[in-house]
Amino acid sequence: MSTDNNSQENNKIKNKEEQEKSKVKEYTIELKNLTKRFGEKVAVDNLSLNMEKGTLTMLIGPSGCGKTTTMKMINRLIQADEGEIKLNGTSVYDIDPVQLRRTIGYVIQEIGLFPHFTVYDNIATVPRLLKWDENKIKKRVEELLDMVTLDSSYAYRYPLQLSGGERQRVGLARALGADPEVLLMDEPFGAIDPINRLKLHDSFLEIQEEIKKTIVFVTHDINEAIKLGDKIAIIRAGKLVQYDYSAKILYNPANKFVENLLGQDRSLKALTLKKNKDFVSNEGVITVSKDTTEDEVLKLLQKKNQIIAFVLDKNDKLVGRYWLEKAKKDKVEINYDEEPILIEQNNTLNETLSTMFACGEKLLPVVDRRNKFKGIILLDKIFEEFNK
Amino acid sequence: MNNIEISFIEWLGYFQGKIIQELLRHIQIIAISLPFALIVGIPLGFYISSRPKIAQIVIYLSSIMMTIPSLALFGLMVVLLAPFKLGLGIVPAVIAIVLYSMLPIIRNTYIAINQVPEGMIEAAKGMGMTKQQILWRIKLPLSIPVIMAGIRNAMVLGVSVATFASLVAAGGLGYFIFSGIGRSNLRMVLVGAILVSVLGIGVNYFLLLVEDWVTPKGLKVKR
Repeated sequence: MSTDNNSQENNKIKNKEEQEKSKVKEYTIELKNLTKRFGEKVAVDNLSLNMEKGTLTMLIGPSGCGKTTTMKMINRLIQADEGEIKLNGTSVYDIDPVQLRRTIGYVIQEIGLFPHFTVYDNIATVPRLLKWDENKIKKRVEELLDMVTLDSSYAYRYPLQLSGGERQRVGLARALGADPEVLLMDEPFGAIDPINRLKLHDSFLEIQEEIKKTIVFVTHDINEAIKLGDKIAIIRAGKLVQYDYSAKILYNPANKFVENLLGQDRSLKALTLKKNKDFVSNEGVITVSKDTTEDEVLKLLQKKNQIIAFVLDKNDKLVGRYWLEKAKKDKVEINYDEEPILIEQNNTLNETLSTMFACGEKLLPVVDRRNKFKGIILLDKIFEEFNK
Repeated sequence: MNNIEISFIEWLGYFQGKIIQELLRHIQIIAISLPFALIVGIPLGFYISSRPKIAQIVIYLSSIMMTIPSLALFGLMVVLLAPFKLGLGIVPAVIAIVLYSMLPIIRNTYIAINQVPEGMIEAAKGMGMTKQQILWRIKLPLSIPVIMAGIRNAMVLGVSVATFASLVAAGGLGYFIFSGIGRSNLRMVLVGAILVSVLGIGVNYFLLLVEDWVTPKGLKVKR
């Protein structure tokens, strides 16, 4: 009996050990005691960081803190002086740098697109370096254009013919060209205006949800870090200050430096961790098709005792909004917006709140990145969350 | 001043054959010089593009070359090439034009390659392109407009430098200018000068067409 127990106990321990071993292997990227000096200056100082498969890790810190250097050491654009870098358990120094880079997606600010290549050729860059079959490449390019919500007609345009946001989408598609497991992104949205940046964030998050890549993302914008990152690594003067899940960092900053980085409005920023899609409701929401007449809408609204109806096309895309307004003598007037203010489901409550304040609406429609209607969000719901 | 009592038109008709002959000769000198200038200038520009110290010296030397008066250069050429029995004819003319072309071609190639944005090269490197691939697929195509501007510059300059070719018995439109001066014949000088200018403009226009043809489409598109 006791021996049996013992062996069971042993087995358990063995199992645990094995589990632990496999856990160690789960790290897709391991940085161990990395040091890099530029002359006298120590850019990265004995930095260790492990990233799990499928997580989006934000590297953030003041400029010159070594975050970009750290990232570039992973695909060996910069050679580390000391330390180890492992990708899926293999040291990157055992892999030919050119081959290594073809297996890692790389996105930089929009300038990185090749202006003399069409969108198609840009996206096909790495597959062609890897000598893929041209049919396979064509399929892949179409797939990626669809993923970043660009029409297939964009394939034969040139980068100069695109807007900043479109270029950034192409940049992302290009980095995903050969379906790499790891993606390195160096302030990819840095040169985009704030409004478009928010939109890009949303579609980027939605894409990441689909593809689940292991991403290292360098930024200097704390809001971007909180919004996008699963985990945040805060770096200062080449040293890792704090590395944790975004929520943990927001609620338990390690020191004064992190506190300052997060800013005074930490509790408001915590709303950034909440996604709209978790607060969408469909209760009492009235939607009508495009061919419904104004009179029919008016009757429907009065019957259901509501004041807003959303107009959807046959693909469920939001195309308009009817709303009732009390005119003089208790007479009700019906109005129509062709471009209703809307929010994306992957947007954060924080942004939704400011949109509501900006436009004075207590209720906003929520859509996905393809503009499909998902439901509504109420201002009261956000207040509820804030007071928790 | 002019004692030949025939009209300008009549005179042109009389000289027509000679004019066409020397014009073609002038074009020939330029056409022979161009490939030599490209073969020397462009690779040299590429070579120095990643070597700033050597680049400084090379560009400095080619600037000095430009300051030598054309007439003196031709004189020098005759003396230097005489031992090889090449002192007269097309050889000294071509060498002189190639030397004058060096500065614009080398300098523009150097600038063209260095103006390719750092980020673009880094993107190419980060995606796993080799140095050769970056040179041929990224740097070279993006450099074409600026390199072509340098070639145009060099060749328009070459058209005027080639005027001196007639002094070393290589022929060309310089014949009309120098013979015209010798004979105090205004018509000849005028015809020579105008034809050299027109040829210069023509060469420039022709190279602009070539430039448009070789420039990657993506760099020309309208937004």
